[in-house]
Amino acid sequence: MIGPNRKYPTWTGRGCPSGARAGEGLERFGEARTPHPALPRAPSPARGEGAERAATWSNISPAFLAISAKRGNVEELVAVSAAAERGGLRPGMALAQARAMHPDLAVFSEDRAADRRLLEGIAEWCQRYTPLVALDAPDGILLDIAGCAHLFGGEQSLLDDLTARIADFGFTLRAAIASTIGAAIAASRHSAAAIVAPGAERAFLAPLPLAALRLPGDLVAALTRVGLKRIDDLIDLPRAPLTARFGPQLLRQLDRALGREPEPLQPRAPVAPYLAEQRFAEPIAREEDVLRVIEKLAARLEPMLERRGEGARKIELVLFRTDGVVRRIAVATSRRMRDPAGIRALFRERLDGLADALDPGFGFDLARLCVLLAEPLAAEQIDLGASGHAAELDRLVDRLSARLGSRRVTRIVAQDAHLPELAAMRVPAQAAVAGDNGWAAFRALRCAADLAPRPPRLLVKPEPIEAIAAVPDGPPVRFRWRRALHEVVAAEGPERIECAWWTEDGGGTRDYFRVEDQSGCRFWLFRAGLYRAIPAPAWFLHGMFA
Amino acid sequence: MLESPDRELASPAPPAPQGVLANLRRTLAPEFPQITADSALAFGIPALDAALGGGLATGALHEIAAAREAEIPAATGFALILAARNRGPLVWIAEDMALAENGAPYGAGLEDLGLAPERLIAVAAAKSRDVLWAMEEALASAAGGPGGPGAVLGEIRGGIDLTATRRLSLAAGRGRSLALLLRSTPATEPSAAATRFLVGAAPSRPLSGAIPMASGPGPPRFCVRLVRNRRGPLGAWMLEFDRVEQRFNAPADRESLAEAARDRPRQAASA
Repeated sequence: MIGPNRKYPTWTGRGCPSGARAGEGLERFGEARTPHPALPRAPSPARGEGAERAATWSNISPAFLAISAKRGNVEELVAVSAAAERGGLRPGMALAQARAMHPDLAVFSEDRAADRRLLEGIAEWCQRYTPLVALDAPDGILLDIAGCAHLFGGEQSLLDDLTARIADFGFTLRAAIASTIGAAIAASRHSAAAIVAPGAERAFLAPLPLAALRLPGDLVAALTRVGLKRIDDLIDLPRAPLTARFGPQLLRQLDRALGREPEPLQPRAPVAPYLAEQRFAEPIAREEDVLRVIEKLAARLEPMLERRGEGARKIELVLFRTDGVVRRIAVATSRRMRDPAGIRALFRERLDGLADALDPGFGFDLARLCVLLAEPLAAEQIDLGASGHAAELDRLVDRLSARLGSRRVTRIVAQDAHLPELAAMRVPAQAAVAGDNGWAAFRALRCAADLAPRPPRLLVKPEPIEAIAAVPDGPPVRFRWRRALHEVVAAEGPERIECAWWTEDGGGTRDYFRVEDQSGCRFWLFRAGLYRAIPAPAWFLHGMFA
Repeated sequence: MLESPDRELASPAPPAPQGVLANLRRTLAPEFPQITADSALAFGIPALDAALGGGLATGALHEIAAAREAEIPAATGFALILAARNRGPLVWIAEDMALAENGAPYGAGLEDLGLAPERLIAVAAAKSRDVLWAMEEALASAAGGPGGPGAVLGEIRGGIDLTATRRLSLAAGRGRSLALLLRSTPATEPSAAATRFLVGAAPSRPLSGAIPMASGPGPPRFCVRLVRNRRGPLGAWMLEFDRVEQRFNAPADRESLAEAARDRPRQAASA
């Protein structure tokens, strides 16, 4: 059993077990549970337009606002503003009734997708506190702050910082810290407590209603019927009859909230094995500054990577804009690397090649460099022997991939397939290993099967042509491709390639011909199907020879 | 009586002081690299090698243009054969549009041209600007140290200006790799490239005595016209590529094309 003081991974270095407290439930509610994503054309405050949003709200004064959705056959209110709440409106009320009470009520329909996006945006922003962030849909966010709180001057100041910043964006929120996820959620949703001290879960939970245990509504109703209303009523009851009557979920939720049973947080994104970050008193905006910070952070990652004998294969830069937008930029490398100057050079290409320029807005106040993927890299011996040779090409591949995208810089790999378009595949050069890549096997097959020559260029898709053959199953005597007529003067073939008949949609037989036209241009044509077939087989042009 | 063009041009000018000439040579040196025997790839055709001053210079930019749009495959083949002759990997950079129109590099077919598919790095670029950038990067990498690309082949569909070719020329001059610019149409604009070839396909020789339709096409033939040459005369040649021996032959069964003009005062002044 893991007690309330369990240890969580932290965010500097790798799995540093220095944390003591875990679990923070953060919930926002108040004016309207999901205030503005449901507002038509209202900008998302997660994008930093809190002021505009406030303006939108004040334009629709008096602030009698509600969001409605269809529940069953009834149009109901799902969230109301503070003013409307004072006026007697409640979530769950029928819209018709609300309208009768307040004819000037402004109603917007619910947009769950937009709500979800907003919550994701806020969760992304919360990564500035800890890399372990999870959603508690539809309106909560969970942060694992074990080992992080001291970086912000303690739990209380972390809580204050977070509350103040989110309030600045224009949200109303309730935040709480506790040692278990269950207790944190109960504290934020069902109590006024902000921080539950470690070990005090039982005392804290005892007076709360059963709904605080995250139980389904019908279970709570059933418990209420037998007189169990508060968590206190439940804690000391014999466990076996409870489970027999109400199912295992009840006690599991209770145990989790009390810390008797571990409940892992499921973070939105995997936690990077290495990361380093830098906060700025004054936001930075210029690209050179960003690059300088990258080099500085990479220099801090280098000893960590070195100590474990690893090199980075995939690196991500996360930039937190002052207005809440989070920008992620990743680069991949073909070599395992940890050299700061090299990492900076890769990011320079990547930033230059961005389709949408890096928009700093009012500046970035936090930059974080994560190594998403690391692989073993032996200590390097500099400039001896042939190892430097491959490195030069790898550096080029990395530079090109960073700027153009890794899918655009490819090596060709032989595949075990007969169909020409499947026989060779282009794979990102960063992923492919230089060297054989399956071509030795292809050469052996080619010698053994005496394959006809293949063209150096293959059309991405075979193009249909109009062809006339002199004899059935013979090469065409003339054909028309891209509106030009070609008279065939020499032909070789057919080379019959059977498609994958053992699969359902394997396709038909192809007869390939190598032909030369009157001007000396050479083509690789094929007839799809046999002449016996009806309708008459179609001809295609697949490639061009030199 | 005919006078040598050199003397005709030189005689009216006052003799230049030695220092000025030496300075000028130094300034222009990076743009006009000296061709030496070890930095040139010989074709094995004496007339063509003589016109190029020993062979195709490495560490220089060469333009290879298709004689017409339909002959791009022939121009590609010619460029690949040349690229394969220099040691080291080949970086083939092409615009997306060129790949869609003319086909993408196909590994299994490269070997017939002497290029092992393992040596190829194929790069697709969205715009011609990216092609030029990637070429310059690749050439810089070739100059950066051993193990860089031995040849860089850029494929461009549109025009390219003098500044761009000069940049590529200078980048190529810093290393020993072969810089090739493959163009889909013959160009007339000025260029800083060392040579410009117009390449077309030519009907191959049918295999010995067989009915043409029944026998396959023979070894590929290229009709190669050297239309710009910084260091020597121009000319046109018919080349046949022997894929077994991996070399060019001058076909024996054809009349040779018009002999290259050795003496060309006008072109020399304008080229």
